[in-house]
Amino acid sequence: MLKNYLKTAFRNLWRYKGFSLINISSLAVGITCCLIIGLFVWDELKYDKFIPEGENIYRMYTEDTDVNGTTSTASVAPMFATYLQSNYPEVESTTRLLMFNGKLLLEVNGISSYENKGLIADSSFFTMFPLKFLRGDPKTALEGATSVVISETLAKKYFPDADPIGKIIKIDKTDFAVKGVLAEIPEHFHLDLQYIIPMPAAGVEKERMERWTWNQFFTYVKVKPGTNVQLLQSKFQAAVKKEVHREFAADGSSYVPFFQPLKDIHLKSSEFIYDNAKRGNSVYVKGLSIIVLFVLIIACFNFINLATARSFRRAKEIGVRKVIGAHRSQLIFQFTGETILFSVIAVVLAALAAYLLLPSLNAFTGKSISFNPITDPALGAFLLATSVIIGILAGIYPALFMSGFQPIRVLKGLKPVNSGGSTIGLRQALVIVQFALSALLIICTIIVYNQMNFLQKKDLGFNKDQILYFDLPGDLAKDPETLKSELLKSTGIVSVTAGYGLPGDQLAGDGVIIPGKEGDRNQSVNLFIVDHDYIKTMGLKVLTGRDFSKEFKTDNEEAFIINETAVKEMGFGSTEQAIGQRLKWDKWEPDSINPVKKGKVIGVVKDFHYKSLHEKVSSAVLIIYPEATVKMAMKVKQEELPKTLDYIKTTWTKFSPAYPLDYKFLDENFEAMYQSEQKLSTLLWIFTMMAIFVGCLGLFGLAAFNAEQRTKEIGIRKVLGASSLDIVTMLSKNFLKPVLIASIIAFPVAWWLMKSWLEDFPYRIEITAWVFLLTAAASLLIAFLTVSFHAVKAAISNPVKSLRTE
Amino acid sequence: MIQLKHIFHWVNQGGKRVFILKDINMEVNEGEFISVMGASGSGKSTLLHILGTIQEPNEGDYFLKGESVYQLKEKQRSLLMKQNIGIVFQAYHLIDELTVYENIETPLLYLNIPASERKARVAEMLDKFQIVGKKDLFPSQLSGGQQQIVGIARALIIEPTLLLADEPTGNLNSKQGEEIMNIFKELNQEGVTIVQVTHSEKNAAYGTRIITLSDGQIEHAKNDQ
Repeated sequence: MLKNYLKTAFRNLWRYKGFSLINISSLAVGITCCLIIGLFVWDELKYDKFIPEGENIYRMYTEDTDVNGTTSTASVAPMFATYLQSNYPEVESTTRLLMFNGKLLLEVNGISSYENKGLIADSSFFTMFPLKFLRGDPKTALEGATSVVISETLAKKYFPDADPIGKIIKIDKTDFAVKGVLAEIPEHFHLDLQYIIPMPAAGVEKERMERWTWNQFFTYVKVKPGTNVQLLQSKFQAAVKKEVHREFAADGSSYVPFFQPLKDIHLKSSEFIYDNAKRGNSVYVKGLSIIVLFVLIIACFNFINLATARSFRRAKEIGVRKVIGAHRSQLIFQFTGETILFSVIAVVLAALAAYLLLPSLNAFTGKSISFNPITDPALGAFLLATSVIIGILAGIYPALFMSGFQPIRVLKGLKPVNSGGSTIGLRQALVIVQFALSALLIICTIIVYNQMNFLQKKDLGFNKDQILYFDLPGDLAKDPETLKSELLKSTGIVSVTAGYGLPGDQLAGDGVIIPGKEGDRNQSVNLFIVDHDYIKTMGLKVLTGRDFSKEFKTDNEEAFIINETAVKEMGFGSTEQAIGQRLKWDKWEPDSINPVKKGKVIGVVKDFHYKSLHEKVSSAVLIIYPEATVKMAMKVKQEELPKTLDYIKTTWTKFSPAYPLDYKFLDENFEAMYQSEQKLSTLLWIFTMMAIFVGCLGLFGLAAFNAEQRTKEIGIRKVLGASSLDIVTMLSKNFLKPVLIASIIAFPVAWWLMKSWLEDFPYRIEITAWVFLLTAAASLLIAFLTVSFHAVKAAISNPVKSLRTE
Repeated sequence: MIQLKHIFHWVNQGGKRVFILKDINMEVNEGEFISVMGASGSGKSTLLHILGTIQEPNEGDYFLKGESVYQLKEKQRSLLMKQNIGIVFQAYHLIDELTVYENIETPLLYLNIPASERKARVAEMLDKFQIVGKKDLFPSQLSGGQQQIVGIARALIIEPTLLLADEPTGNLNSKQGEEIMNIFKELNQEGVTIVQVTHSEKNAAYGTRIITLSDGQIEHAKNDQ
């Protein structure tokens, strides 16, 4: 029986090659998209699953609420771990990582370079995260203050020929002994690390380690199995309220700790302001899944559409089979079986395509996903199961529909069902859904693209291009002027500034005091420690007042420059009125003579976007405070850049022979800020194209059937005097209406979706009507071109031929 | 063997009942070869479809081997029919995607006959109609007469108690038609009960009894013995 069905199926497939090609290829494209995105999503969900008893591990984070709103932070105070460990018996262990940028200078016998992925951890780190050691004992590897555990990569780099255990590495000029070598670290670990040094090495005083407010630690807690974490969390929240809140409550703010499950760290931390984890974005993961679902739905609808359209051709077979004894269930089985066959073929093709496309996906996402259904039988079985499910989903409706044909009508040569209109209605409805989904994707793509374009072209209020910067080691930071003047000797360097607080780099958040009649008012601001050349180097625009100047000796001690937002937030009225207003600032390292900087606003600069455009510009205050200088930045000329770089390197070595030069360009930071949106934009383009392509394939097939079914009608109309144009119009009209309706349905959905997406951007484009008009026009044009091929073919055919066949 | 009692069938046209069949009573005995005649629209095809249970009348009873067909449950009726009735169509109605062999075999598949027996029975049929050499051809590769022979072979493969034929020669030229009618005659002599619908007096004469329909009613039945 099965053999008989298979034979019929294959012969049908072959006989209607065009139909089969459209069906299989559109389904294959849909499934390929699904596979690719499925692999990506699956990979995203795999994070930290390899850690034994990971379900008992939580990371602490806090929600801080103040007048500016609520922010979440994954870095918490050192006392969190201490308190949890000693007060709750259900806590099995804790471990902390000190927050730092992870970059230190490593030196072994002349091999020296900055290594990026360093962690400073409590000795319990490897108990909580039992990473595999190639050499050394995880239990003791982080004991003492001068031990270090390195990755296999670093071991090979610094000790190419020797066993590193017991050997000395100089880390930031201090000796550390290698106590362990890690095996390759699993890719799906949320921490990216190359070496770990123990917490005591950081040299934090005991007093600071006992603070409840120094939020510098990523803290992990492992609870005993069966612990009610909700209960533990609320107990701890109460404890923190008691210990900390009194310091905060005065101004109506709050500070609440939470337990974040280990498995949520990768995908559900995208809102955290400080985090060291490898972060994904669950919104984009969900968004992509939905888009891909769209493509698959469109492909499945093609199946249903073409199958019901084609069903009239098979009506005779169905009638005959029924008359000679086929039961309806047997026919349903037969026809569903055929769609399953189609979808199995499509899945095989899709698996092949996914296999070939995977390297590009890996390059694009920076992942190393593997996919081979042949060597991985579970995956193969899953794919097979999927193809059967898709086959059933796409095939069940046509099968039910076709198996319901009345044999008597079929055999009498009538249309197989009385209500032939119902399937035409259904097909139109499916076409509407397909094109609505396509239109939705087109609109989203255009708007995302425009927004990205807008962000890239937006005037940032400063010039981020050709600015090179580097950290200054201790002694150089104390006296940057000599280095500055030495660098300025190069013709390739336009200007140089030293300070702390470069746009797109690390920034200092602090407060300034506005003295007033009713007492002092505190204003939280971003503080920029600058020198006389900062505004010039960064290309900031002074709106009123003046830049810092060496001609005014008082500028060093008494001058403040603020941005436009600060003028507003501090309540100074206009930029002109702001000049001369008094401000105070508590120095970071108060000297006995002058613990407070007191002075006046001497200038207002135009708002400049020192953070990503995801955030609104906040109040900025520029001051001269050489004690806090940590970085140097310079504007270089594009031409002769290599020569200039050489000069910078040579000069650097003269001044700081102990540390190699490690420089960066400022615009790199800004590119990184929009990376995820850029990728989203690219993916949207790709999948929108796919959706449109698949939708058009279906429309193309439908148009072919429509033209074929109406061959006789067209013949008669032509004989009666209809022109080819009349025929084309008549045939195309049928399809253009649903496309137009689809666009209109898609508009409000797309508008609402994009409006909420854009709301995340304080600086955003307006959604204009032309996007919708363009989309409608594009959909119509695409649909028309697709349909008109068959319409024109039918219209120019010789009517004698079509009539003779009847 | 077969009894039709008070069969009425009508369609509604403009609120009025137009009768296609009006109080048909007939009996088919084992071994008979009945020809149903009548003008176009006299209801003869409908009568045949009712006998083949492709169509159900609005009123009346149908007994097959003593069973009241319309009282049976869907499954039982379907089984009774596919075991007892073979149908031959004017337009042959072979399945285009299947070969001659497969077309003949298909009814056996729906009766869940084991493969070895199917093979034997199809081979016997091919042999009987001398179409062994054509067994791997598709219907489109055959002439009309050959297609109809395949149609007959397919109808006979289930060894039916009743063979129904709806203008079996209607699409054939006279020589082919004669051949088909001779086959029917031989089959009848072998003991197959046949009811055929036909326009042609000549073909009707092959039968043992002629029923003439006029406006949905049996005009007169004459025994031709």
